[in-house]
Amino acid sequence: MRSPAAAIAWEFRRRHRWGLIAFACYLLVLATSKLLLLERGQSVTFDDEQSFAFAVVVPVGTTFMYFLAVFTFGFAGDLAGRRSIYPARMFTLPVTSGALAGWPMLYGTSAMAVLWLATRFLAVWPSGLDAPWIWPALLAAAILAWTQAMAWMPYALPGLRVIITVLLLTSIDVVAFLAIYYEASEPVMVALLAPHVPLAYFAARFAVASARRGDAPDWLQIFAWLGRITDLLPRRRDHFPSPARAQAWFEWRRHGRSLPALVCILLPFELSLLFLFRDTPVLVAEILIAVLFTPPFMAIFVAATVSRSSPDGSDSHELTPFIAARPLTSASLIAAKLKATIRSTLASWLLVLVAIPLALRLSGTSSVGVDGARRLIEIAGTPRAVAIGLLSLVALVLCTWKQLVQSLYIGMSGRAWLVKGSVFVTLSLLTLSVPLVPWVIRNGREAIATLWNALPWILAVLVCIKISAAAWVAIRLHDIRLLSDRTLVIGALCWDAAVLALYGLLVWLLPTMIFPSYLLALVAILAIPLVRISAAPLALSWNRHR
Amino acid sequence: MSESVINVSELTRRFGAKTALASVSLSMPRGAVYGLVGANGAGKTTLIKHVLGLLRAESGSVRVFGLDPVADPVSVLSRIGYLSEENDLPGWMRVNELIRYSRSFYPAWDDVYAEELRQTFALDPTTKIRNLSRGQKARAGLLIALAYRPELLVLDEPSSGLDPIVRRDILGAIIRTIANEGRTVLFSSHLLEEVEQVADHVTMISRGRIALSAPLDVIKESHRCVTVRFPEPRLRPPAVAGVLRWEGQDQEWTAVARGGSGELEAAIVGWKARIVAERFASLDEVFVAHAGEAAAPAEDV
Repeated sequence: MRSPAAAIAWEFRRRHRWGLIAFACYLLVLATSKLLLLERGQSVTFDDEQSFAFAVVVPVGTTFMYFLAVFTFGFAGDLAGRRSIYPARMFTLPVTSGALAGWPMLYGTSAMAVLWLATRFLAVWPSGLDAPWIWPALLAAAILAWTQAMAWMPYALPGLRVIITVLLLTSIDVVAFLAIYYEASEPVMVALLAPHVPLAYFAARFAVASARRGDAPDWLQIFAWLGRITDLLPRRRDHFPSPARAQAWFEWRRHGRSLPALVCILLPFELSLLFLFRDTPVLVAEILIAVLFTPPFMAIFVAATVSRSSPDGSDSHELTPFIAARPLTSASLIAAKLKATIRSTLASWLLVLVAIPLALRLSGTSSVGVDGARRLIEIAGTPRAVAIGLLSLVALVLCTWKQLVQSLYIGMSGRAWLVKGSVFVTLSLLTLSVPLVPWVIRNGREAIATLWNALPWILAVLVCIKISAAAWVAIRLHDIRLLSDRTLVIGALCWDAAVLALYGLLVWLLPTMIFPSYLLALVAILAIPLVRISAAPLALSWNRHR
Repeated sequence: MSESVINVSELTRRFGAKTALASVSLSMPRGAVYGLVGANGAGKTTLIKHVLGLLRAESGSVRVFGLDPVADPVSVLSRIGYLSEENDLPGWMRVNELIRYSRSFYPAWDDVYAEELRQTFALDPTTKIRNLSRGQKARAGLLIALAYRPELLVLDEPSSGLDPIVRRDILGAIIRTIANEGRTVLFSSHLLEEVEQVADHVTMISRGRIALSAPLDVIKESHRCVTVRFPEPRLRPPAVAGVLRWEGQDQEWTAVARGGSGELEAAIVGWKARIVAERFASLDEVFVAHAGEAAAPAEDV
């Protein structure tokens, strides 16, 4: 390496080699598929949008997000913090701020351009779709360049970076979509998008120079008096009654407020649509469904931070000595996390349940909700309708909580290879398995009937795996004395009771002619979380006592 | 002084191909101030992490207060005050929140003492940890490690990179801890003058092995620095039993020798050389002699 440019490029390559290798493999698969199809002389009739989406759009979209994180140094920075996320260690290198901003931007925008051009050239596209060559590459490069500039800028307040970046990127997207809507030609699109990269470069250079000389405004002092007022509250000065309560407070302060905050930010946008589409009941119903799915959907993203055992923004996945040296058992540390997530889920749902009736009333769309409830009562009868409503609500609340905690057993292990491997496996499975659904639907009744006949066996195998895994986890928990016998027995009894209650409800609600009771029993066993949550203390213990 | 607070027996730990600790055994008596010295990467932090139960013994055993810190972390950790080299206090907490949070874990927490320490260390209770200087963070860490008067105080490189005033606070805390009913202190450092000031027992670790472990007085009394003037200039010093390290050039060479001076004096007479200066070796010189590479390899006898 004879130049700073080569050294910076080497760092990106060395640090993210596995991601880049995976991307290269994906391009190879695309190229091979295309070559095989063309060699056989088959006409390419890729008319199934879902298959195309999951074979091309999902991997490319994932790579796009990955490149955003890589080239902004986003993996090691605190996006919500005030400070620039540009690595401070690089500020002492004997290069100009222009070079510090310019080289990562050049590599990032080039990578984005290569991503699009390779996809355009190598992927099998649906017939009749003439995807443009240049401007999507420019759009991707512009989004990356502006994200870099915004990520490297120091801000006056925490969280300001996220708000400004989202607004800026949305405005770029809106301009691009408007241009597409009005069928702008490729040269017009290029003319619209090309100036973004140099403009973003100047912004990034300013950002790096500001961060380098520690020139960041601080508006936090303006709000410092708020902190002093809350310090006067008696609750803030009380002592915690137990270590478990103190740890639950720690977890709540660390991660618990993220989900309610995200829901709180999204709800006004979603519910404001009710005012726009108040005259279209179908859209009102769809908006309400989207609102109800907001907490579980957002929980997927929050789970990534909840299940981290190290501080946010840290490269390491290991538990910090500050937490590892707490005189608490690993089971108690996990229990605190579970309590904080329960509180977080309930707070989020409280927001949703208060906001929906309020928005329905203010927008004058209450009748849609009332009509829907009336129709359900007519079909199922009052008791069943109430039970279905409550069960749906409980299921959504549980689903939100489950999303928050189901990856704890991976994150708490503190092993980078396990965390990164699980993300890779999940994305790969998603990419490979989702096209199967349209394939099954296309291949008609025969395939569905075969699947339906095999469903009890599939479920039975899954139940066997779940019970075996649960038994192994229980034995390990007992052997290394992470949980007492009494706690294990009480936990098992609670799980049994939950399964029985769900089974009873399903038998009462669903016709057993169509859904045999053994099938419902299998569903109930699989639906109630057991293994992944009970494996979390084991994972933490593995991390804590390496 | 008979009861051992820490008992490590034949402890071995490998990280991949690297052996971090090799058959380490030590016993730490109650009421002692135990200095753990060694070069960076020698294995000090690895040993401390085993004591805290943050690393599991691959082979051998670790007992703290007679308990296995991995099997029974609550009983062990509730009696230990720990100040980490990494200083990983949560930056989002205010100082008063850190105190409020930490006190709930230790039934013996002394509010009066905690407040006294906070005032001594000049820590503003409403300041966030992330806004404290490095020295202030170390003081905050020390406060929560001391305020419950732990039976065992473990300090892992507590003063590395800190200014002399903070270092003085830390040493003062160690001395106060000893004064308080003879509690036990284990602290690792490569600042040997600090170790010399407070430790009454020193263990030197080199490349994962214990190079030397003895009371500080014994170590100092049993090592001498002898400067010898040879009749002719020499490229390499002669090898003599008991000499750990030679340093010098031409005619004048200085030896760090262990044990009695009989063999060295006899050899000096044999070489027709003379002793220019002789004194007790400093801990620094003893450490370099045991842990460092030989400054000049000796001739074969």
